[in-house]
Amino acid sequence: MTRVGRTERVVRYVLMLAVLAITVGPFLWQLSTSLKGPDENIYPSPPSFVPHDPTLANYAEVARIIPVWDYALNSLKVAAANVLTNCVGASLAGYALARLRFRGRTAAGLVFVAALLVPLESIIIAQFTTMRDLGLNNTLVAVVLPGSVGALNVLLMRNAFRAIPYEIEEAAVVDGANVWQRFWRIALPSVKGTLAVVAIFAFMGAWDDFLWPLIVLSDPDHFTLTVGLNFLHGTFADKPRVVAAGTIIAVAPLIVMFACLQRYFFRGVGEGAVKG
Amino acid sequence: MPTFRGTRVSRPARTAVPLLAGALLLSACGGGAEGGGSAADGKVNGHITFQTWNLRAQYKDYFNGLIDEFEKKHPGTKVKWIDQPAENYPEKLSADAGGGTLPDVVNVSPDLSYPLAKAGLLMNLDKEPVTAKAKKVYTPEAWAGNQLPGLDGAYAFPWYLNTGPLFYNKALFKKAGLDPEKPPTTYDELFADAEKMAKSSGGKVATLAGVPAIEDFGRYGVKLMNADATKFTYNEPRGVELLTEYRKLFKSGGLDSQALSATPESAGRKFLQGRVAMNPGSAPDLVDFKENAPDLYKNLGITDAPTNTGKPNMYVMGLGVNDRSEHKATAIAFARFVTNQRNQESFAHEVAVFPSTRGSLEKPYWTKDDGTDEGRVRVAAAKMLDGAVNYTPVVMTEEMKTVLQNEVAKALQGDKSPKQALDDAVAQSNRLLQQG
Repeated sequence: MTRVGRTERVVRYVLMLAVLAITVGPFLWQLSTSLKGPDENIYPSPPSFVPHDPTLANYAEVARIIPVWDYALNSLKVAAANVLTNCVGASLAGYALARLRFRGRTAAGLVFVAALLVPLESIIIAQFTTMRDLGLNNTLVAVVLPGSVGALNVLLMRNAFRAIPYEIEEAAVVDGANVWQRFWRIALPSVKGTLAVVAIFAFMGAWDDFLWPLIVLSDPDHFTLTVGLNFLHGTFADKPRVVAAGTIIAVAPLIVMFACLQRYFFRGVGEGAVKG
Repeated sequence: MPTFRGTRVSRPARTAVPLLAGALLLSACGGGAEGGGSAADGKVNGHITFQTWNLRAQYKDYFNGLIDEFEKKHPGTKVKWIDQPAENYPEKLSADAGGGTLPDVVNVSPDLSYPLAKAGLLMNLDKEPVTAKAKKVYTPEAWAGNQLPGLDGAYAFPWYLNTGPLFYNKALFKKAGLDPEKPPTTYDELFADAEKMAKSSGGKVATLAGVPAIEDFGRYGVKLMNADATKFTYNEPRGVELLTEYRKLFKSGGLDSQALSATPESAGRKFLQGRVAMNPGSAPDLVDFKENAPDLYKNLGITDAPTNTGKPNMYVMGLGVNDRSEHKATAIAFARFVTNQRNQESFAHEVAVFPSTRGSLEKPYWTKDDGTDEGRVRVAAAKMLDGAVNYTPVVMTEEMKTVLQNEVAKALQGDKSPKQALDDAVAQSNRLLQQG
């Protein structure tokens, strides 16, 4: 470490605090709004962050307006299924693209890149009619299926596997390991970080998705949390405190998930970035 | 203001709309014309689905009551009620239309019914004798509001109407030396007051929060389209005049400096914060003011929105009937039941909307001020509905509204002259219109 001058250090901290305020500020604002009671002005200027009369009534109101726990359970099912299919699918496909030699490997890789370029909106009707023909529309399976193996995740895994030195696997081959053994015992344990990244991306993607579940689900009983929370926006008048409480309910699991996996997450982001 | 959520579309959704609309037309054309659908004058029985737009959370009991009553009255019928959330409703309708899963009775506004009707998915109520008879139940304005240009008929039973007065902050008026009891009633007065307000507050308090939208052009007396709705005409001299006035206000601070990115929500918030002096709204906003900005509530003034035409703007909601429904007679019966005089009036007692049935607005509830603020707003708004029109052309898609908004922004920033900006907006919109 080089020594840092006092002024430079001050500037660094000020900048970091500024970025912190920008990124965390809106979230804190929502949190504070969700805790404010009915008599409090939520639009004073200058804004006040600390509620005078903190209350959990807004959260109860969310639960009264919509069956929030049912929706959360639906979301959890979809997100868990999405994490599972993406981790399994993306690591298998990624390993095949990185390590196995077969005809059309480059072409297959290109197909995955091309898949990244297709905007969801342009194929959403086709997806919807496909689900209807399969008899799956209005089910949670239909929500999971189109995103069950994300192209981006496959590419992430492929790069992670590529970064493992070839020699290690060659040594395993000499010891008589077959492809499955090499994948399971050697390659996979070395890319745990990227796997955590894929898990977080898959969870967040499924948890936050709005348009596709809205389109494919018709029955309000099957709605996921993001779609269901939209009911909190009144048709004729908004209740900002209740909407804020709904937002906090939606975001909380993501924060918990990130807190649990953050150790792997930062390792994973760096993995494959530098070739050793 | 949150009069109708449908006017609000998030940015990513905007880009999705044209793609989806294209997909809808493709798939609808492939479906074959006049495919399926039972007789409109058949027996009333069987299962139908009824779709509303974001009404379940607040009015569950009302709708369940209606459905129970209908099922009892017509044994053998079963109504399944589904409700869609506020956002991306047009996309949901397109997907259902393309996939052939459109419910039997759907809650639509005229701009939503237009693409569905064009694809042959909604029933033309003027063509079918059974439904044409129902016409006399509704006010002529409401029925006309659901008629679609170029498609020769009304495609939805009129349901609730909405309009709203203009709210203003008396404290800010007083501070600027304006008479708080004399709000502006014409556009000339509005612009003059805004100048004064900007000058006395040093540009800190704006009078208007948002850029002019198509309804504002309509209220100003601009001719928006030609008679058969094939070409936009809002670049006529009066349109240019309105935009020129707004440009002056933008420079002087009479129009909020963040107006270019304003949404109905952000405008409402600025009004609550006392940084904007006037804002359009409706009766439910009163509750919002009372709860969220008690200081403002004490100083709240209510007035009619200024017009040069004498005809205020209104929003129209309707119930369309799926032309391919297997139980069309049941669907028609149910749509008529929901929109009959008694049921519309009772719905309008639950929430501050207005019934579209003939004679309803002459009842004391909408003509006699009961002394409360809600009552005052209700009576004022009901009075406005007499002769009100839906200014927004039904063929004007979200994309065309965005085109107008972008060109208006360029004019306000001084990148283009108002004339040039409107000419460009009209040219682009006409091109889009021809593609659709």
